[in-house]
Amino acid sequence: MSDAMIEFREVTKRYAGLVANDRLSLTIRRGELMTLLGPSGCGKTTALRCLTGTIRPDAGRILLDGRDVTEVATHQRELGMVFQNFALFPHMTVRDNVGFPLMIRNLRKEARATRVQEALRLVRLEGYAEHYPRQLSGGQQQRVGLARALVYRPKVLLLDEPLSNLDAKLREEMRFEIKEVVTRLGITAMYVTHDQAEALALSDRVAIMNRGRLQQLGTPEEIYETPNSRFVAEFIGLSNFLEGRVASVRGATMTVTASGLSIHTPSLPEVAPGHKVLLFVRPNEIEILPAATPADTNVFPARVEKTTYLGDTMDYRLMLGEGVELRVQADARHRYGAGESVRLRWPRVRSWRANEE
Amino acid sequence: MTLLKAYLRGLREGWFVLGYTLCVCLSVFILAPFLMIALRSVGKGWFGKLWLPPQLTWDWYRWAIEVGNIPEVMKNTLIIGVIAVAVSTVIGIFAGWAFGRRQLPGKELLMAIVLLPRMIPPITYALGVAKIFYTLELVDTHLGVALAHVSVCAPFAILVLSATFEGLDERVLEAASVCGANTVKRFFYVVLPLIMPGILASMLFSFTHSYNEFTLTLLTYGPNTVTLPVRTYLAVGDGYWEITSAMAVIMVVPSLAILAMIQRRAKPEKLVGGFKGV
Repeated sequence: MSDAMIEFREVTKRYAGLVANDRLSLTIRRGELMTLLGPSGCGKTTALRCLTGTIRPDAGRILLDGRDVTEVATHQRELGMVFQNFALFPHMTVRDNVGFPLMIRNLRKEARATRVQEALRLVRLEGYAEHYPRQLSGGQQQRVGLARALVYRPKVLLLDEPLSNLDAKLREEMRFEIKEVVTRLGITAMYVTHDQAEALALSDRVAIMNRGRLQQLGTPEEIYETPNSRFVAEFIGLSNFLEGRVASVRGATMTVTASGLSIHTPSLPEVAPGHKVLLFVRPNEIEILPAATPADTNVFPARVEKTTYLGDTMDYRLMLGEGVELRVQADARHRYGAGESVRLRWPRVRSWRANEE
Repeated sequence: MTLLKAYLRGLREGWFVLGYTLCVCLSVFILAPFLMIALRSVGKGWFGKLWLPPQLTWDWYRWAIEVGNIPEVMKNTLIIGVIAVAVSTVIGIFAGWAFGRRQLPGKELLMAIVLLPRMIPPITYALGVAKIFYTLELVDTHLGVALAHVSVCAPFAILVLSATFEGLDERVLEAASVCGANTVKRFFYVVLPLIMPGILASMLFSFTHSYNEFTLTLLTYGPNTVTLPVRTYLAVGDGYWEITSAMAVIMVVPSLAILAMIQRRAKPEKLVGGFKGV
């Protein structure tokens, strides 16, 4: 038995000249929760629909548990899927909705009842078996959707932006609920979303897509801590970017001149003085220090422009050197007012070769 | 200020009274002929300038049924209606699917052609139909008259059912497929129950159209295919107003029953959405 449960092999799909999936290759391991993350139009939905068989890729193969399903009809792929708009059958009760995949598979009535009961218990909706979907709240409807997807124990569970039709508080609750259920069942799951917070909270691994291609693949930590491109850094979390040129390289560190500042940062492979680089710092990775702080490596004077109180943190807009605006999020306990001069310490700066972009 | 308010209130009440009066007048205007017919069908010795019939009787109904051969005529009407409904519904389902779910080239033109028989004067259309049916020897057959009716029933069925199919949620159908349903099972367990209200509405309206159809029937009927409207019209020619009125009342009863059914079950805004769940 191979380790791969879902495999996209060089899948390409074009729509009237527009490439939705451009030789997409992606492997989802057995028992893993993988998120396909990206802005709208990045091809994540196309990839999902290729996997369900709703659309046929122009080229490439799709494998499910080692079996080539590229030419297999949707209803024979043995998938479980949760839809963005719930897509419950409006003319059926919750019981019949959840029992539908079992009925289609000609399961005996008693067995069906037990399995439906189990599935409803899993999503904590035992008391709602006789309700119709329209009598339930959005969150409840989506839990019915989850029960329906899981009831016949499919090999893989697909979730197509399952939380985007729910309000913010419910979304957060449901996030943990889905994670919990998926982990408990040990099912392989592919989760499609454009919400980075969802992706970070839920996934074992995240696949970030951009223009029909896989941009970066990694654990949530890898994606957040070491984004491989400006696109990923901008998409996941907040970021400050600075363009600069390499001044000198000394072993594992290099000095970059950007907007009149000399910034020390871990050096990049095959980098030489004169190369253009893009520096990147997260707003919560910058320390704000009093103006009296002595000069040091990566400590720069700045002026507070604007402050926004966010409860647990303060959001500062600062002017650094020659008209560079920076965003910093810091502890709300020490506050600096607008107009105040401060010093910023950058303990951690990452960079990419700019011409790679 | 208070004066202005009082004035406005007065104005509002005035409008209310005026509107109410108009509604009542309209109702009387619409219902008066019905009332007239109903009275005439039970009145005896109602001549000259009398406002109300001096005597009441059920005799005219007996005459109408016996002399007018109403049971036979009713049977014809129903047979023709059922055939017309069946054919229109089948056409409606297929055409409605095509109009509602597919990107058809020249969709507007096709729709215009479908609606044509409803838009041009019925007599024009009926003359053409009659000529063709004479050639095909379809005149004075139940099938022939029913097919003539289909030309006005089917456009309606197509309109209603394309709206129904348009309202079907693509994602729900996709969900059925992902759940393991093949095309046949998907149709019977999901599509059919969801479009049932639309089908029922289209059947009811098709039947009423066929039941009430006069012009097309007049040019395609024969001794074996007399329908209620035609029989009533012929009775007018015989000159017995009381019997004609009785026939007219008999004819109205099923229409009213269907109207009541439509009002209860098949609300136009509920053409989609499931039968059981409605």
